[in-house]
Amino acid sequence: MSHFLDRLQFFKRKGEAFSNDHGAKVHENRSWEDGYRRRWQHDKIVRSTHGVNCTGSCSWKIYVKDGLVTWETQQTDYPRTRPDLPNHEPRGCPRGASYSWYIYSANRLKYPKVRKALVKLWREAKLQHSDPVKAWESIASNPEKSKSYKERRGLGGFIRSDWTEVNEIIAAANVYTAKTYGPDRISGFSPIPAMSMISYAAGARYLSLIGGNCLSFYDWYCDLPPASPQIWGEQTDVPESADWYNSNYIIVWGSNVPQTRTPDAHFLSEVRYKGTKTCVITSDYSEASKFGDTWLAPKQGTDAALAMAFGHVILKEFHVDQPSAYFTDYVRRTTDFPMLVMLEQQGDKLVQGRFLRASDLDGKLGQDNNPEWKTIGVNEADGTLVSPTGSVGYRWGEQGKWNIKPLDGKTGSEVKLQLSLKEGHDEIVEVAFTYFGGQKHELDYFQHTAHDEILLHKIPVKKVKLADGTEARVATVFDLTLANYGVDNGYNDPNCAKSYADDLPYTPGWQQKITGVDANEVARIAREFARNADKTQGRSMVIVGAALNHWYHMDMNYRGLINMLMMCGCVGQSGGGWAHYVGQEKLRPQTGWQPIAFALDWSRPPRHMNGTSFFYNHADQWRYEKLSMSEVVSPLANKEKWSASIIDYNTRAERMGWLPSAPQLGMNPLKLVKDAEAAGMDPKDYAVKKLKDGSLKFACEDPDNPQNYPRNMFIWRSNLLGSSGKGHEYMLRHLLGTKHGLLGKDLGESGSIKPQDVKWHDQAPEGKVDLLVTLDFRMSTTCLYSDIVLPTATWYEKDDLNTSDMHPFIHPLTQAVDPVWEARSDWEIFKGIARTFSDLVKGHLGVEKDLVTLPIQHDTPAEIAQPFGVKQWWRGECDLIPGKTAPAMLVVERDYPNTFNRFTSLGPLLEKLGNGGKGISWDTKKEVHFLGELNRTYSEDSIRNGRPRINSAIDAAECVLSLAPETNGQVAVKAWEALGKATGLDHTHLAKPKEEEKIRFRDIVAQPRKIISSPTWSGLEDEHVSYNAGYTNVHECIPWRTVTGRQQFYQDHEWMRDFGETMCVYKPPINLKTTSPVMNSKPNGNKEILLNWITPHQKWGIHSTYSDNLLMLTLSRGGPIVWMSEDDAKTAGIIDNDWIEVFNVNGSIACRAVVSQRVPEGMAMMYHAQERIVNVPGAEMTGTRGGMHNSVTRAVMKPTHMIGGYAQQSYGFNYYGTVGCNRDEFVVVRKMNRVDWLDTE
Amino acid sequence: MLICRVFSRLLDYPTGQLHEYADELRSLVTTEAAVPEPVRQNVLSFLDGRLSQDLLDWQSDYDGLFERGRSVSLHLFEHVHGESRDRGQAMVDLLAQYRQAGLELAANELPDYLPLYLEFVATQGDQAKAWLQDVAHVLALLTARLQERDSDYALLVDGLLQLAGSQVDLAPLREEVAQEARDDTPEALDKIWEEEMVSFATGDPMGQNSSCGTARYRPTPEQRQDDVMAVQWVEPSLAEANRR
Repeated sequence: MSHFLDRLQFFKRKGEAFSNDHGAKVHENRSWEDGYRRRWQHDKIVRSTHGVNCTGSCSWKIYVKDGLVTWETQQTDYPRTRPDLPNHEPRGCPRGASYSWYIYSANRLKYPKVRKALVKLWREAKLQHSDPVKAWESIASNPEKSKSYKERRGLGGFIRSDWTEVNEIIAAANVYTAKTYGPDRISGFSPIPAMSMISYAAGARYLSLIGGNCLSFYDWYCDLPPASPQIWGEQTDVPESADWYNSNYIIVWGSNVPQTRTPDAHFLSEVRYKGTKTCVITSDYSEASKFGDTWLAPKQGTDAALAMAFGHVILKEFHVDQPSAYFTDYVRRTTDFPMLVMLEQQGDKLVQGRFLRASDLDGKLGQDNNPEWKTIGVNEADGTLVSPTGSVGYRWGEQGKWNIKPLDGKTGSEVKLQLSLKEGHDEIVEVAFTYFGGQKHELDYFQHTAHDEILLHKIPVKKVKLADGTEARVATVFDLTLANYGVDNGYNDPNCAKSYADDLPYTPGWQQKITGVDANEVARIAREFARNADKTQGRSMVIVGAALNHWYHMDMNYRGLINMLMMCGCVGQSGGGWAHYVGQEKLRPQTGWQPIAFALDWSRPPRHMNGTSFFYNHADQWRYEKLSMSEVVSPLANKEKWSASIIDYNTRAERMGWLPSAPQLGMNPLKLVKDAEAAGMDPKDYAVKKLKDGSLKFACEDPDNPQNYPRNMFIWRSNLLGSSGKGHEYMLRHLLGTKHGLLGKDLGESGSIKPQDVKWHDQAPEGKVDLLVTLDFRMSTTCLYSDIVLPTATWYEKDDLNTSDMHPFIHPLTQAVDPVWEARSDWEIFKGIARTFSDLVKGHLGVEKDLVTLPIQHDTPAEIAQPFGVKQWWRGECDLIPGKTAPAMLVVERDYPNTFNRFTSLGPLLEKLGNGGKGISWDTKKEVHFLGELNRTYSEDSIRNGRPRINSAIDAAECVLSLAPETNGQVAVKAWEALGKATGLDHTHLAKPKEEEKIRFRDIVAQPRKIISSPTWSGLEDEHVSYNAGYTNVHECIPWRTVTGRQQFYQDHEWMRDFGETMCVYKPPINLKTTSPVMNSKPNGNKEILLNWITPHQKWGIHSTYSDNLLMLTLSRGGPIVWMSEDDAKTAGIIDNDWIEVFNVNGSIACRAVVSQRVPEGMAMMYHAQERIVNVPGAEMTGTRGGMHNSVTRAVMKPTHMIGGYAQQSYGFNYYGTVGCNRDEFVVVRKMNRVDWLDTE
Repeated sequence: MLICRVFSRLLDYPTGQLHEYADELRSLVTTEAAVPEPVRQNVLSFLDGRLSQDLLDWQSDYDGLFERGRSVSLHLFEHVHGESRDRGQAMVDLLAQYRQAGLELAANELPDYLPLYLEFVATQGDQAKAWLQDVAHVLALLTARLQERDSDYALLVDGLLQLAGSQVDLAPLREEVAQEARDDTPEALDKIWEEEMVSFATGDPMGQNSSCGTARYRPTPEQRQDDVMAVQWVEPSLAEANRR
């Protein structure tokens, strides 16, 4: 019966009374409540997170009902911190909270898809050829056929396929490419492994097994700060966000914490309630500005000038006038301040040379092991020269002396190194310092000052007799640094300032002209920052972000502020130090993960490639290079040496073993080994002989030769072409061979000077990639341009691991529901490809030998390969010695038909060779044995018989967790023991209390777990201190992994000297010359203005995901927008929401203008990763659909990032290498006349 | 209403089976009594047109139409709940309806996928029409949008409307959709994009444009987003289910 008749309408039943009529019992129908109850009912809650590009690493509850995800809420069960420290939760933001809908969205990729033109060719070919590899060959080797589908890229026309067919096409293409051109013609790109490390590992493991290249992302995204490897020998190591709460003075510099670090921002708010002072430095009025007690707004790109002025004040007041006892002790022990630098006579000037080494001195100062890598200081007590322990020379070839205790490396007795030679110098000499701030900007946008490009400073020196009998003048880094900052130490140096107002580099008064920041404010902030650090022993912190790192001279911005931290003793102290949060790439269980990801359990070494050089090279961006190196090198450098093109220096770096190559050599490496064997020679000797006689070249010397194209590419967990492809239009044209919006002419067309070492082809290649495969869960820009699109599991549909540097916990992604439609997890997808590959490869390739070239790796004994000068073997300056003067060359066995068996089992090399990372290694037989018991082993007649299983993603996760010191206490103890051998100190007390702690996958499903301290990282996971980088260096006397073993103010490699970057200096933004050829070239009647192009990280996307989520778009404006200032808008006759066009020679963008007081004059801001798939009309300049933020950019590389074979400046994957900077770019902006949606396209 | 199964097959992703069973499809369309004559003609002409086309072209058309963007998505709740989190619960409820009818989901699809729903309707005998009527509003919207795009798939969805004996008047919808189509023009987009400039001082301290006014941080009528959602509609049977 219905409620209508069931219920009494006019009466109420009399109820029983109780409690003396104070209560009455009633019978009312309460079934209406069920609706509310049911609304929040669920069958289960599953723990997961979001993550490739979001690095928030927040644990979420995913609610599942009837097998469907219904909603998500934040988890609130992070382990507690400790009294007086806020807890981590709630972690999560609106982006995460609006994710669940995406699983069922109309935009979800549901089925494997193939470009129609390609599948048609494929199905026809399959009728002709029963062998799929032959079928692929018939397409790929036919120029007409391949052009027919390549030119359709980006233009729609997909059809559904099934997994059998797509796996067959992909595997056939891979087999054909490996066989015909070489396995190193297959590459894959995936970013930020930390955020879903098993998904990353899936593709990387497949590629590594077949010999393909994994491309790095951290440098390509320009999130890598090269200053960090230069100063510390560490990729990036930063405090966790909770450590902000331990700070007493915070400078937030170019980092938009509330916007891009939403779940962590509360620590910054909370610590202000505790009384911590904050200074926010951002050029625009960003969301972070409201956190500041002071807000400084320097002109964008000039932050180094501000940092130098801060440094000037700190040095003057806290190191010269009234030295802080704490600072003095700190810099003496932990930095290179007391190290001696040789001054070299160059013409009539003395210039800064390299560090004095033990090998320079008579009797090598008693050092027989690596004397050329042992730096020298003066013992204050007796004025003698000593080689203190801890420099890189002590790291390799001997044990027990690689520590930074103040000890003489020879006698072991305690020494006190002299900071300044002010007392006890032999003479005071004038030394040349370079000044770049006088360079004029092409558009007169950045200010220059009228100072000479060479400034002479008075320096106290000691005269030292060298082993060869000559005499050298040496100075300490401290004295050189004071002079560099323009701080007088009592020598009446006319080029040093008398007051802060003096117009001399680098005073506060000087910087005001460049940055626009008030000089008095600069002095005040510097003083406060340093005074706080002095009183609190280093609790001053700088939080820094992309706004400083995306410039060509980002090293100077970063070194400038890191110098401040080092001068004030903040690095390695709780609540202090360098907090760089850009691309939070901290894969905490790194050493457990690497063997799985790069298949080190089966074959070593894997092929790694630095992304920036790869894309610059293969997208032919070098064919358009306008920046000449003579514009950016030091006035003291030999200009002749720097007359080549940027690509030339990259190829030289590759040939000298500095940077990796992909492809590697100019021929198929499988064939090379066969040829060598036919010639009866060792493959390495054979390759060396052919390289020397010129019959074999490196592939990089001729990248436009079809033999050297990157034929097959995989992209997963990334929107490479949508959000991170600097030089987007170059990629469209040259890599993909499709419609593009390039407006510029190449060097051939414009009749400019061509590269010296790289072969020029007049006809530029188009469509170098034969097969582009993308895995995603949505139709991203990259998918639109791919040949095959594979639907992958979302973050609630797969099992995986997740860590961040923002907090010390490891937590999982877990499969709340099965992947919907035909989607599969990345692990299952690559497993499937590996299976088909293993089948198809039979008859084409068997067990093969592959010659792999390996650049000189950081943290290996090889890193001290090239102590003195740059020598090029092909010019006869030295012999070609693999691993010393050129890349190492190693033969790796590929068992192609067993690729699948290898993929799914843990191989034997871990027992044979052990495991390790960052220069230490340990035996890991016990863990492998354990994994056999945990995951169980195979028993079958194949190569994986008896091997532990890695069948599921959880199996893989268990391998990572068991092998890594961070998640397995007994491994941590082993790792600290291994490090103790090198340092001669006992560090095991750091892990002993947690020796029996073992974190398994099911544990982190139950609750996020705090990881265990390990020597892979320089901070501690402790109950008493928050994680802070450099902590163990300072407190355990473990050296930094640099030449001196200390934090380095000074960089002495020859190329660093050529670039005038021995010390931090101010370098203005560079001239890219991309606007004048197009400005007013195709007028539309509206005024054209020039603006500096800034691309910050955004609020409406999880980095590259989400911008097509209607909820998030609604919070913004629903399509591409560019922010500009009111003044500029007025000049150009633009009002808010007008359609505008933004262009330069690299390409063009059509979008809306947001006119705001927030933006300073001269700046245009476009947030990252706005998608090309929503609301993009045609651009008037190109007539094609307008591009995205990277359409007007192009990668420009800096040779100092190519340096290798030199201790900390040696290559490491995602550690060092060229970076894809893009903020020096200018664009032309004008109002559009006609908005054409190109709907007929 | 077995004919619903024909619609189900035709609205699903086209495969070679449609060619294989073309005759069977045709004869069902021709013989089924419940089909009004114009619908019969429309479906047959759709079949003739599509079957004479290359299958790959048909497939890529389908992909470009239904799997790009959301406006003609074949998932019913896309048009009802859009991206709100109510969608999960709605799907759970619909699944319960199928179970009540003795059907378990066998395909890897969501319960609100139109071809799947039609297959369910086809098993509902006398009730079929009622079930179709339940989704008539979505069908009407789809019809109007497909017509606006000149797609022959409009013939099918319109046919379903007629089978349902729907009384939905398409004319105002068409008008609305025609306005929606102006989504593609800059003028119409303004509505979605508008974000007014902040001005800190005006003569009217409490008015719309002042920084203190109570109306200040409310969207203007032009900025409102809540009316963008196409159909605000609760399926009667589901509403009933919620009450139970």
